[in-house]
Amino acid sequence: MKNLFGISVFALFLRTCSLYMLAVILITANSYADTQEPAMVAIAFPSTSDSVISRSSLRAIFGMRLNKWPADTPVRVFVMKDDAPEHDAFSKNILQVFPHQLRMAWDRQVFSGQGQYPEQVASIQEMLSKIASTPGAIGYIKINEVTNNVRILQIR
Amino acid sequence: MCVSFKFAKTAAVIFVQGIILFWTTFAHAVNLMGNEMQLHGFLTQGAVITSDNNFLGQSNKKASTDFREIGVNASMRPTSDVIVSAGLLSHTAGATDNGGLRLDYGLVDWTVSSNEEGRGGIRLGRVKNAYGLYNKTRDVAFTRPSILLPQSIYFERTRNLTVAADGVELYLDRYYEAGSLFVTFGLGHPLIGSEAVKVALVGLTPNGRFESSAMPVFQAVFEGDGGKYRLGFTTVQIDTHYNPGVGDVLQAGQLKFTPKIFSAQYNAENWSLTSEFALRPTSIQNFGKNAPDSTAHGQSYYVQGSYRLAPKWEALLRYDVMYADSEDRDGKAFAAATHRPGFTRFSKDWTAGMRYDLTPELMLRAEYHRVDGTGYLPVQDNPNPSALVQRWDMFMLLASFRY
Repeated sequence: MKNLFGISVFALFLRTCSLYMLAVILITANSYADTQEPAMVAIAFPSTSDSVISRSSLRAIFGMRLNKWPADTPVRVFVMKDDAPEHDAFSKNILQVFPHQLRMAWDRQVFSGQGQYPEQVASIQEMLSKIASTPGAIGYIKINEVTNNVRILQIR
Repeated sequence: MCVSFKFAKTAAVIFVQGIILFWTTFAHAVNLMGNEMQLHGFLTQGAVITSDNNFLGQSNKKASTDFREIGVNASMRPTSDVIVSAGLLSHTAGATDNGGLRLDYGLVDWTVSSNEEGRGGIRLGRVKNAYGLYNKTRDVAFTRPSILLPQSIYFERTRNLTVAADGVELYLDRYYEAGSLFVTFGLGHPLIGSEAVKVALVGLTPNGRFESSAMPVFQAVFEGDGGKYRLGFTTVQIDTHYNPGVGDVLQAGQLKFTPKIFSAQYNAENWSLTSEFALRPTSIQNFGKNAPDSTAHGQSYYVQGSYRLAPKWEALLRYDVMYADSEDRDGKAFAAATHRPGFTRFSKDWTAGMRYDLTPELMLRAEYHRVDGTGYLPVQDNPNPSALVQRWDMFMLLASFRY
């Protein structure tokens, strides 16, 4: 009986190993093929940011780890609710980070005293007005909703 | 004595609940002297029932609710380079922790240099240790993968050894196109003066206290492809010395604990796979004839899969193993030498769990454990080794609220 148990544990171990291998294969296959979602862009307060930014810096900013623009202005990050379609599309397609991972990264920093949450807005209008009026602000919006008092950030 | 202790405990709980009420009446952020202060907290209540043995209270064939985590924290950014933050915690865990209010962390974080490619800085004060993937927020149910963290690495029994340290932590982040590298190096005094630590290290009988010299903690984590995979390495060196009590059975010895943890995680949109492996050598010296010099090569690992079935539902399956000494895995040599059960030297825990997020602020969880061995059970809840049962089951429920 003890042996049988040992064997079944071994079989499970093998299954786990094959899961690992499957994961490795999926890394390349599991790219973001969903084209139904709205096309999103990162937007910022016009005079405090550059107009081109690297994806890794954008990730660090929305991960609440980069708190200063090159010209020393404090960064103010604005996001929508975790389950908003805009948040989902921006996270997955532009940052290429899953929303649940962003939430986890924020929680881990806030509850160990190492960081703060981004500011949450309730609507597209609020997002636009906050970005247009707050020095250092950064957020996101559907590309067809961009107004000319915010700056689109091109990803390098 | 006992009455005043109970009174103190009740007073502490009421005090914390008062603070929470006060905290929640504010919004998430208040404006203080022109700086925005963020206030957050959590309240977690668990219930535990076991088929045999006791864990997190008197759980043997009845429900124990001596498993509670209440925390509040505040942070503010006086400039974009500085964060000042503090967190208070009341942690109730059976006979190992009475829920007394304590400073969980309290620190000043100064980002000395920061640009598009990365940042570097220093944290001063009481800092949570970067120990494996989960320690920094180990008492925050929302950030855990399960009700109970894998006990092979995140022991409830010896939590105070590695939970936090008073000192300094240097950090360096690099943001590359392929991923980000996070390196931390901490040097501080672990919180090991308590009775719970003494019991975890040398048992109930000795009546002394442990002290420690400054403990180095090094961690490097690489997060590839926007965090889709994470690879980590942690190494810690704890050097303690023992101050015997009056008429103590132990002499003034030294205990050295030098764990190393290897961590790996893969995150897909709907599932995550996590595994950590730890080597935990512990050596004791000069404790006298009742505890001859020895080294135990502790070893631990777990493999954990979680799957998001629907936006609010998540399932978990884990196999979690610890050996107190990998050169005596089944504890036979220990049993022969001490006449205590060999199965107290390992634990193999199969866990299946479910998480339901009622709202983003309220989470419910249920979890079933099938365990072989009693290696992770605290002796305070199980003072009589001959009453221990090798194969046991555990069912846990948890509700957690945060704001």
